[in-house]
Amino acid sequence: VEETGRLTTDASSRDPAVGLRSVRSLRLLAERLEELQITSARELGWSWQEIADQLGVSRQAVHQKYAGRRRLGRRD
Amino acid sequence: MFERFTDQARQVVITAQVQARTLRHDWIGTEHLLLAILAQPTTLSARALHGHGLTLERASRLVQEALSDGSRQLDAEALRAIGIDLDSVRASVEASFGEGALDPASVEARFGGAGQEPAGRRARRGGLFGHVRFSARAKKALELGLREAIRLRQNRIGDAHLLLGLLREGQGLAALVLTRAGIDLAELRDELERELRQAG
Repeated sequence: VEETGRLTTDASSRDPAVGLRSVRSLRLLAERLEELQITSARELGWSWQEIADQLGVSRQAVHQKYAGRRRLGRRD
Repeated sequence: MFERFTDQARQVVITAQVQARTLRHDWIGTEHLLLAILAQPTTLSARALHGHGLTLERASRLVQEALSDGSRQLDAEALRAIGIDLDSVRASVEASFGEGALDPASVEARFGGAGQEPAGRRARRGGLFGHVRFSARAKKALELGLREAIRLRQNRIGDAHLLLGLLREGQGLAALVLTRAGIDLAELRDELERELRQAG
């Protein structure tokens, strides 16, 4: 807890180098999780529309980004 | 295209797949082609690389090093700064999806060469090994190898043409490893061409 407190102080030190690196890693982490979850959803037979609904984006957006990918697009 | 490959060049392509499997990679990139070239120590191309101080062992080490750096790495410290513990995220993801589920995918993607390739297609490593396939850059390098043979007016595509293809491609992990090994790519290219012209 103590360590978290110190790090939170670091994060709020307004150092852009720290803040921006956090954003970048967070985005990357989100991308990896998204791909993993979409792969899993497709394997479970979810449609692109169902996936898009859960992600809160358009079917086109998710289809365009992932449907061309080998392991994900094969049910279409 | 493959019917015009020499036995050594075919062996490079086959060994590249073995190299990829050994490293537990689910893609065949330019780096695996380079390692495969070095794995046949008596060929023209391997001897040229040895002459520049690059052995299979050293190249393997450089490939591993290149794989573990790069801008696509998750920065655990930066995430901790905003209260996210990457280790627990990883643990919970792996509990559901298996070991390595959160690992970066193809390095070729990291170096911008994989085009349509998914960023995380190794999600279930085990099941993918039947489908190891060439990255966009590796394919390009093979094509460029063919073009080198044509340019040099040689009928067969040999191991040295494949190495020339890797040099021409220039953007893949193979080229990065060669550069990091301190090899002057232009010099190596001239040398290979000279040898090829003498041989053929």
